[in-house]
Amino acid sequence: MYRYDTIDKEFLEDRANQFRGEVVRRLAGDITEDQFKPTRLMNGLYLQLHAYMLRVAVPYGSLNPAQVRAFAHIARTWDKGYGHFTTRQNIQFNWIRLGDAPDILDHLASVDLHAIQTSGNCIRNVTSDPYAGATAQEIDDPRVWSEVLRQWSTLHPEFSYLPRKFKIAVTAAETDRTAARAHDIGLKVLRNADGALGFEVMVGGGQGRTPYLAPTIKPFLPASRLISYLEAILRVYNRHGRRDNIYKARIKILVASLGPEEFARQVEEEWDKIGEGRDWPDTELARIRGSFVRTPFETLAPRSDIFDAEQAADRSFARFVRNNVKAHKQPGYAIVEISLKAPGATPGDASADQMDAVADLAERYGLNDIRVTHEQNLVLPHVKLDDVPAVHRALQAVGLATSNISLISDIIACPGLDYCALANARAIPIAQAIQQQFADPDRAEDIGELKIKISGCINACGHHHVGHIGVLGVDKKGEEFYQLSLGGSGAEDASLAAILGPALPADKVAGAVDKLVETYLAIRQGEERFLDTFRRAGMAPFKEAVYADAH
Amino acid sequence: MPTLIRLDDGRFSAAEDIFTDVADEDEIPAGPVILSLARFQAEGDALVTSNRPVGVRIQTDEAVEDLAYDLPRLALVAVVFPKFRDGRTFTTATLLRERFGFAGEVRAVGDVLLQQAMFMVRTGFDSFVPADGATPEQWARAAGLFRHVYQRAADHRPPAFEERG
Amino acid sequence: MKALTANRLIDGEVVFWQAGQWVERFADAELFAADDPAGPAAVDAAKTQPTVIVEPYLIDLAEGPAGLAPVSYRERIRALGPTNEPTHGKQAEGGAAVAALQAATGAARSTGRVDLIRRK
Repeated sequence: MYRYDTIDKEFLEDRANQFRGEVVRRLAGDITEDQFKPTRLMNGLYLQLHAYMLRVAVPYGSLNPAQVRAFAHIARTWDKGYGHFTTRQNIQFNWIRLGDAPDILDHLASVDLHAIQTSGNCIRNVTSDPYAGATAQEIDDPRVWSEVLRQWSTLHPEFSYLPRKFKIAVTAAETDRTAARAHDIGLKVLRNADGALGFEVMVGGGQGRTPYLAPTIKPFLPASRLISYLEAILRVYNRHGRRDNIYKARIKILVASLGPEEFARQVEEEWDKIGEGRDWPDTELARIRGSFVRTPFETLAPRSDIFDAEQAADRSFARFVRNNVKAHKQPGYAIVEISLKAPGATPGDASADQMDAVADLAERYGLNDIRVTHEQNLVLPHVKLDDVPAVHRALQAVGLATSNISLISDIIACPGLDYCALANARAIPIAQAIQQQFADPDRAEDIGELKIKISGCINACGHHHVGHIGVLGVDKKGEEFYQLSLGGSGAEDASLAAILGPALPADKVAGAVDKLVETYLAIRQGEERFLDTFRRAGMAPFKEAVYADAH
Repeated sequence: MPTLIRLDDGRFSAAEDIFTDVADEDEIPAGPVILSLARFQAEGDALVTSNRPVGVRIQTDEAVEDLAYDLPRLALVAVVFPKFRDGRTFTTATLLRERFGFAGEVRAVGDVLLQQAMFMVRTGFDSFVPADGATPEQWARAAGLFRHVYQRAADHRPPAFEERG
Repeated sequence: MKALTANRLIDGEVVFWQAGQWVERFADAELFAADDPAGPAAVDAAKTQPTVIVEPYLIDLAEGPAGLAPVSYRERIRALGPTNEPTHGKQAEGGAAVAALQAATGAARSTGRVDLIRRK
């Protein structure tokens, strides 16, 4: 984890003080709501249906126990005892009072956290791999580069009033756990033929009303030139991105309208003019790298008798291992995923007690490291195999031992119309109905990897465009309807989902998903996932299964 | 009269505006004037050679590059904020200072709000006509709220990585 | 019928207009006939209170199986609370007025739903 120095800490104090001042001015009537709104939003505070919602940044999805306890404290003190982890690895609190927000930001600053740029037309919190520093797949630790980007983008004077919001993902592994191509910029760390470190730069992805996967505009950018190249991209976008239509303002529209080659040419031209003067010195890049605390792994045997024996003795533990425990680069360690998708739960929600329990486990068994995934789960990235049974038992005690990572009940859902002022339809009850439909864990394991993603409106916070099964809530004459789409992926085999057919009423969605799954089970070949079967067999059999009755 | 705030040598103070902002349909009066880009390109040459201070008003959909060769003859560039959300202004100011080395006055006009004071100062603006009636004292406080900055910018403040040395 | 709603500035609470005051329960809201100029007049009055509430607007009401309720789902959820947490929000109070709102179904789009993108 990156250690904040005095400068980083004082910056957060100043930011909290600035926001406190603006709230005072707003409450006193010195500024109008229109004048206040940009400040409010750039501090992550939205006015939702029932109250203010505070979105706190979890920089590149990485937390320590004190920070998770701070979330629990905020949930208890200023909210209704829970928080909601989002598809951008952040956390949202749903019941915040404007008057309390300055105190909350002070409390966050005391543990090196903030809500800076979690909204507004600026560079948002950087997404990164929740397995960073734990997976054997990676070329370099993407958190180092994510931290460089956090600092560079924080209150960037030129790029804080862009045409629209701007999201960057950094990944360094073959398996993409960040949905890099669904971001405005996706950076993949790699080494070229000479062994030099650099990035593949993908630009112009995004979801929303018009989804795009980002094309690669630069196959290899030397690592030392990262900042100047990003400034060139942002400058071209800031100048030429559309500002006349909110639905056409993202960089994806600019890249698509110019074409990736022409966009890349304009970026190169601007980059030449900027030169190396805007790059950060190697000394600072090295300092940031050095400010990450070295993970104190022990030298262990690759196998653990305790771990093996517990799997033989306890079927629920064996199931947990099959689904939630992943290979670690360090012998004798494992990555443990904590599902926030228990049957009947709101996807991504965690209670204050659960957050405290996770913090305790990270402290006791997890080298003080906790991650948030964009699939709205938590991760203990460094657990000794010997300790996994104890972690499992402790998770069971707080209702966090659901063994369904990447299975059909591990559903992404945005808050939807239950909370969100932008939503057209509810998302949470649909997720719950599908969970109910597939409550049998043996059946869920038989179905295998199947990613369902639900958004309550076209803004696509629930990533429905990249769901194996995507569900989009729409408003049909005031009634909630749901449009299903198939074949999306946010992983390294990224693709956009295609619409299955006419939207369905709420009470028909879970049944339709069941028919899709039965169709898959009937025609799958060998080890095919649902997604693979769809890619091979096409839409027809699935469409027939769902809409046959309507003929 | 709207307030004009000048930033000079690190200090913010109220200043008298010696320039007349000339609309395209108005006649050009005597003394220092600010013209639109189009009008400057049509009529500016005679004015600058007559040795009076001339400024150009640049809109967010106009390319600052079009002014590049005239900048040494200009006393002022007024960058228009049509809405405070239109952040092209910050790129315009950055390019004026950093790419073209413009040393004259860069003035923020239009929907100019206190909450953007820091971004304006950092990108090289040195005069401001606040739309929200902000005072020089408020402007100074807002621009100086942060003890540290993370990026290099036109104001030459040492970023965090230089402070860390 | 129509009612006037807004969110309270200090805490974001959903509030309804009642004869110049803001009340938290939908059941206590003042009702305006659809063509009653008093409705728009109340909106104008509310707009003069920018330090009390944010973005006032009229919502459409219709007779449900157990009484008047907002026409749109969205407004019923605002008047009740999130459906995934029945103990949170105004619905926690229970009683006949809450039950009446919960009993209402179906909808036509509320004319009170203004430009949502601007509202975030």
